[in-house]
Amino acid sequence: MVKMVVCIKQVPMVSELPWDPATGTLQRDLAEGMMNPACRSALDAALRIKETAGGEITAITMGPPMAEEVLREAIALGADRGILLTDRKMAGADTSVTSHTLARAIEKACQGFDLVLCGCSTSDSETAQVGPQLAEELDIPGVAYVDEIELSRGAVRMRRISDHFLETLEMDLPGIVTVTTGHYAPRHVPLGGLQAAFTGAQIDSLDAEAVGLDPEWIGAKGSATKIRNVFSPTAGKKNIVLTGAPKRIVEQLFDLFDDKIGGAIGKDLKTDKNSK
Amino acid sequence: MDFNPCMKHKVVRKAVRMFAEAELGPIAHDIDRDARFPTEVMEKMRPLHFFGLQAPKAYGGAEMDTISYAIVIEEISRISAAVGLCLTVHNSVGIYPIVRFGTEEQKKRFLPAMTGGLQIGAFCLTEANAGSDAGGVETLAVRDGNDYVINGTKIFVTNGSICGTALIFAITDTQNPQRSAGVFIVEKGNPGFAVGEIEDLCGMRANPVSSLFLEECRVPETNLLGRPGDGLKIGLATLDAGRIGIAAQALGLAQAAFEDSVRYSKERQQFKKPISSFQTIRNYLADMATEIDAARLLLYRACAVRDSGRPFGAEAAMAKLYCSETATKVTNTAVQIHGGYGYSKEYDVERYFRDAKVTEIYEGTSEVQRMVISRAVLARRT
Repeated sequence: MVKMVVCIKQVPMVSELPWDPATGTLQRDLAEGMMNPACRSALDAALRIKETAGGEITAITMGPPMAEEVLREAIALGADRGILLTDRKMAGADTSVTSHTLARAIEKACQGFDLVLCGCSTSDSETAQVGPQLAEELDIPGVAYVDEIELSRGAVRMRRISDHFLETLEMDLPGIVTVTTGHYAPRHVPLGGLQAAFTGAQIDSLDAEAVGLDPEWIGAKGSATKIRNVFSPTAGKKNIVLTGAPKRIVEQLFDLFDDKIGGAIGKDLKTDKNSK
Repeated sequence: MDFNPCMKHKVVRKAVRMFAEAELGPIAHDIDRDARFPTEVMEKMRPLHFFGLQAPKAYGGAEMDTISYAIVIEEISRISAAVGLCLTVHNSVGIYPIVRFGTEEQKKRFLPAMTGGLQIGAFCLTEANAGSDAGGVETLAVRDGNDYVINGTKIFVTNGSICGTALIFAITDTQNPQRSAGVFIVEKGNPGFAVGEIEDLCGMRANPVSSLFLEECRVPETNLLGRPGDGLKIGLATLDAGRIGIAAQALGLAQAAFEDSVRYSKERQQFKKPISSFQTIRNYLADMATEIDAARLLLYRACAVRDSGRPFGAEAAMAKLYCSETATKVTNTAVQIHGGYGYSKEYDVERYFRDAKVTEIYEGTSEVQRMVISRAVLARRT
């Protein structure tokens, strides 16, 4: 029976992003949380393995007490138990410290695990670093950006698209994969499962001490990364009215098109076109 | 007293919102325009227990508490009130009477298919001469050996053309209609049971509301719910439960109209300013928000009373009355805020406006709710 650990992050709900227009930052304390979409795909990948080959799934998350929500949701979807890493001392962790914290907790609470699954990146920070760093921390092989995964005789076989090539890879277990949102469509939460997840489900809450973490290597204190600025990218929209004779308008249109598209792809289309 | 939703209710809301926005959002406008019931979405709802929200687990239900149930109906109705209507009728007046009054044999026989969404439920009380006056029912069930033979016509049956299990309210003695009323479970395919034309209604158009005909429709006596003469009792208990669902549905509609109004008032520019900067619009939004909040609190209070096992008839009537009148008022204001666009089918508020009105009519009109509430008030010791 394959023992799987799925790392899940609660991220702010995109549809309800309370954005502070004055500072251009996200008001996280006001945002409703949801399961990060790629983590949802990672969970789905684990659930499919469990459904076809059997197995046991532990969902683990690090976050404020509210993050328990995503663990309950994971259990409603089919995970067997949840581990909530919550401690004020863990707050403000960068990706490196997050990976360190998760790794120590997995070693402590998920002994004998075969496969760790993470989302390839999170919708609120998009670094895509935690999964690969977790492989280093746990000292096990890892494959990132996996589209599809299946068990094959004590190993996992994976497909991913890398540099426009479709790769098929095989990895011995224990190992870690980070999963894209490409193949696994997120499933909806069964309401009966949700009722059960709030009545009989097992969720262990662990703080830094319970995991046995060095207080110097967790949270903001242990983080080397300092965020200097967070801003919302601006996308401009402009209407241009072309006037004059039709021939002139068409020429103008193509010129503008060349400028815009050529600028975006970093290629001089006019020269390219003329040389042909 | 804690007015914050608990974690479970928050997660239920998010899960259903995600489902509704993803699966119903893209089609809500079209199914209203085409008066089409979205069977493809029903297929997706089945494994997620939408058809057995509060039914016991033993019969395939999700065994949810009533606040969770109200949240589900509210969130589905926020996107499509017509689909919310299907669910609330199926769950609260289709399944609930069987759970509450059915024999073990009846529960085993009818509930699994209903909670699995394979048989949609309908509750058939209204007739040409009976609605608010349940005593005016003329559909007659005559005992014949171990069977009952039913004759009559039911109108305005929600889920009419798609129902697989209909609860038929009928009398067994024309001399004594009130005391002889009974509720009979009639399944689709039963000889003598036929579906009439789908009604051409102002709102809730994606729900196939129709009439049902019973002509020499023979059912075994084991299809009678409760004892002979229990009809009125079952009917009243069922309507109490049903009112919570309709209140939730109305609340979802009001919420949707409010959210659209907030969004539109920030976008729409007049006199070179967003209309949300004008005091009149701000006052509209303030009143809408206040009334919706009051409606929601009344509804959740009724749900909590029900879950505590105490009588909740008056609380449910208050919630239904206030939620439905709020829905009509808020959707009306939403159209006003949207101006000419609000009167156009291009904008959803036009649909909300049409959908809202009936919440003041079915499952007991506002006038009937006031009757129920005033009776409770007058019966209390002062």
